[in-house]
Amino acid sequence: MHIQYLHWNAAHGWRGANARREPAQLVLYFGNRPGLAGGARYRELRDRYPDSHIIGCSTGGQIHGDDISDDEIVAVALHFARTRVRVVNEVVESREGSRACGARLARQASAADLAGLFVLSDGLSVNGGELLAGITEVLGPDLPVTGGLAGDGMQFEQTLVGADGEPSPNRVAAIGFYGASFRFAHGCAGGWDVFGPRRKVTKSEGPVVIELDGEPPLDLYTRYLGEEEAAAMPGSGLAFPLRIHDEAEPHRQIVRSVFAVDRNAGTLTFAADIPQGCTAQLMRANFDSLAAGAGEAGRQARSALADGIEGDKLAILVSCTGRRRVMGQRTQDELDAVAAELGDDVVRVGFYSYGEIAPPSASSRCELHNQTMTVTVIAEAAA
Amino acid sequence: MHRLLARQIRQATDETGQVDLTRLGELVGGAYEESDRDRRRTDRAITLMIEELEQTHKRAEQDLLRAREFLDSIIENIPIAVFAKDARDSRYVLLNRAGEEYYGMPREEMLGKTPEEIFPRDIARVVSEQDRRVVDSGTPMFLEGHLLEVGVNGHDRLVNSRKLLVRDGNGAPQYLVGVIEDVTERITNEARISHLAHHDALTDLPNRSAFNAALDVRLERAQEASTSFAVLSLDLDRFKEVNDVFGHPVGDLLMRAAADRLAAEADGAFVARVGGDEFMILMPDDVRRETALTLAERLVEVIGKELEVDDYLSQVGVSVGIAVYPDDGVDAATLLANADSALYRAKREGRGRVCFFESEMDRELRDRRLLQHDLRQALEQNQLLVYFQPQARMDGEVIGFEALLRWNHPTRGFVPPDQFIPLAEENGLIIQIGEWVLREACREAASWPRPLQVAVNLSPVQFQAGDLERAIHQILLETGLAPTRLEVEITEGVLIGDFARALNLLRRLKALGIRIAMDDFGTGYSSLSYLQSFPFDKIKIDRSFISNLEATPQSAEIVRAVLSLAHALNIPVVAEGVETEAQRAFLEREACEEMQGYLVGRPDQIERYLALIGVAVERRLYA
Repeated sequence: MHIQYLHWNAAHGWRGANARREPAQLVLYFGNRPGLAGGARYRELRDRYPDSHIIGCSTGGQIHGDDISDDEIVAVALHFARTRVRVVNEVVESREGSRACGARLARQASAADLAGLFVLSDGLSVNGGELLAGITEVLGPDLPVTGGLAGDGMQFEQTLVGADGEPSPNRVAAIGFYGASFRFAHGCAGGWDVFGPRRKVTKSEGPVVIELDGEPPLDLYTRYLGEEEAAAMPGSGLAFPLRIHDEAEPHRQIVRSVFAVDRNAGTLTFAADIPQGCTAQLMRANFDSLAAGAGEAGRQARSALADGIEGDKLAILVSCTGRRRVMGQRTQDELDAVAAELGDDVVRVGFYSYGEIAPPSASSRCELHNQTMTVTVIAEAAA
Repeated sequence: MHRLLARQIRQATDETGQVDLTRLGELVGGAYEESDRDRRRTDRAITLMIEELEQTHKRAEQDLLRAREFLDSIIENIPIAVFAKDARDSRYVLLNRAGEEYYGMPREEMLGKTPEEIFPRDIARVVSEQDRRVVDSGTPMFLEGHLLEVGVNGHDRLVNSRKLLVRDGNGAPQYLVGVIEDVTERITNEARISHLAHHDALTDLPNRSAFNAALDVRLERAQEASTSFAVLSLDLDRFKEVNDVFGHPVGDLLMRAAADRLAAEADGAFVARVGGDEFMILMPDDVRRETALTLAERLVEVIGKELEVDDYLSQVGVSVGIAVYPDDGVDAATLLANADSALYRAKREGRGRVCFFESEMDRELRDRRLLQHDLRQALEQNQLLVYFQPQARMDGEVIGFEALLRWNHPTRGFVPPDQFIPLAEENGLIIQIGEWVLREACREAASWPRPLQVAVNLSPVQFQAGDLERAIHQILLETGLAPTRLEVEITEGVLIGDFARALNLLRRLKALGIRIAMDDFGTGYSSLSYLQSFPFDKIKIDRSFISNLEATPQSAEIVRAVLSLAHALNIPVVAEGVETEAQRAFLEREACEEMQGYLVGRPDQIERYLALIGVAVERRLYA
């Protein structure tokens, strides 16, 4: 595999990756919503790579190497020596249609030699958990699936996904990697700790929590955040995700963060369904624990990557917008921690997301996460 | 230098290496604010969390307290003694109310004390030994249905008790918890229920199912040991009549008294009540026929003695049939059936008898069924006949005839009425036959030139079932016989049972102009009370009194009494069975109104009495 890195900013336009040794099969790009809206950046990439699959999404910040940027658009063009690549996409008509959409997407990508699937999905109008359930239904629980939900900074208004076309809302896309040489390693960790008493979700409808311990959940968050910070909900609410305890699967680690607020009803909408009657507990983290969590994700991915790799290795970091919100200027620390674990020989790009897709550690079945760092390493084995 | 500061300096340095201090200041200030915000958020979260945890803790404590009170009230109020002791020294630490009752002392006298300080030495030793065993072994102790060793309820109580060890958080023995349940009532109830299932509630004798079980056991044993035994089937005579006349409460008392006598006399034998007035007795092994007979005869004698029940003097009898294993059957069904047919024979030979089963009885029983079968065809095939017997005044003038049913069987010849009429009554055929007799008698009488009486017997069954009144009315219309020439004869059996219904029917018949005669007077129970209830037109003295007139002075006295009673009530009397001139003379002397019997004429076809009914022989023959 060979990687060409390039980036765009308003002052200089696209830079880098001029030396085109071999044609790229796949171009992956991340940018903020204003930067991607309108489709100009996509058209420019298409001019540069007329024969490649081009796939990307809006974010809450782009990662390239050790840096995070909000205004620049980052991209990588990948040439595979022995791997086939296909890009598929679907439009999700409604939140309720998420599972069916996932199944349709997976059927398009399905093939006997499918070795891994990387998913980029709209981050606001899709029920991520259901989307993944639909994908798993078709591909089975053992096929590695990673990816992330597109972001929109702290605005939570609209997210964009593009797959061989201009980026648009309500889109779900995926890259299918095919062939025996393809290597796909991943890691996923958070670094959050539960605190305070366990609370009962006394009333909920899908992802909307209406009552926690019989009171509106917004009241709880307002108490914990203080009036001033609570005014910045849902963004500020990312500081306190919820750990959900599922009685049926007590060891399953489910973390959910707030995505929308109804101030009149006092209800909160989370990234995926929260079953009524389950137990929830607030979580918090400090800079160091979050950085350590990110490092753990990097370590898992690196140790999962087999030896005998030929060519470049690309790490796609998908980290939660909530983490960036909490860490502020210290966000760099988590990138440093991942870099330290992955080593110098892995090219790193990525983005801050509204949800991360990866199998949790000690499982192969992919799940939707909030508040985690996920690391996907792709590479090719020697012939 | 702090990693962050280095990063900030790098970010504030331009391409020429110049540090933009304003930019650096912004970055550093921003970082301080982020830290402050994070610290404030953390402080706030910690404070809130502590508050929340305190509240949760308080709530949990209250919940715990409530749960404890809840459990305490359950333990206090369950009707099972519950105690707890310190596992180290067996000092009581808890005792509930049922426990106080069980030990017969208030808990204040027990709590904090060891068994040695509470109980007598021997009991304390048993209790302490049990405690040590449970503590040392760690296994619970269960004792079921044992007699209790301590307690004030007395030593006749049965208890279930259990003791188990409760360990503390480190696994060391902490408490001995015990429960003691008084199960005396339950165990006696279980025994009572089992007794009820196998015993008759009225007499407390074993019931049919218990008898069958005992018979099965006996059969098995007898087959193995090649011994023999006898089965007795008993039936109380006249018990149904007592029940009908005196009512069920008296009947019950009588039944109990009879059962007591049976059980007392049949010592050693298994006596069971298997039906309304039926009993079975299973005699001990290797009993000789003579012994069984002796017992049976003793039972007949004892039961036949007068019983005084609730101020009534009653008399019932018993008939006994005996079957012997293995001669009369090697399985239960055959033995029972054969004992029953022996009983049937005993009853038929006149009650208060004992009969052994004989194989010929089997044939008799089959024969009886065959006869019943034939009777159904008798009507259709014109095998039934009506005979007429004249009734006369004491001077010999014939005033009427009694119509009498006869059956001329194609192969058996004439079957006696006392054989086939009970059969017809048993299967209800009597209703059809009775109507036929009535119709024949009425038609015949209507054809006589002289307007003589015709008397027809009615069976109790005809009163109980069918529409007798409508049938009689219909027959009178059909035949044109004047109702005043018809006389119906009833026995008191008609009035036993649904007395009110029978009486009502008799009144309506009488209203039609039909005369009603009381038949077989003097043989039944309470004919006198019936005389009071209904204005009979005639009384017929039973033949048994008349035939004994010369032999026993009592009969003459009875006849005399009946006559004077009837005369006082203004009811004419017919004497049945008058065969001799001496009998006629006696009756005439005593002012008996009418007579019937061989002296006047025997029952025969009406052709024999043409002259009496006013038909010239020639006319009858050639008409």
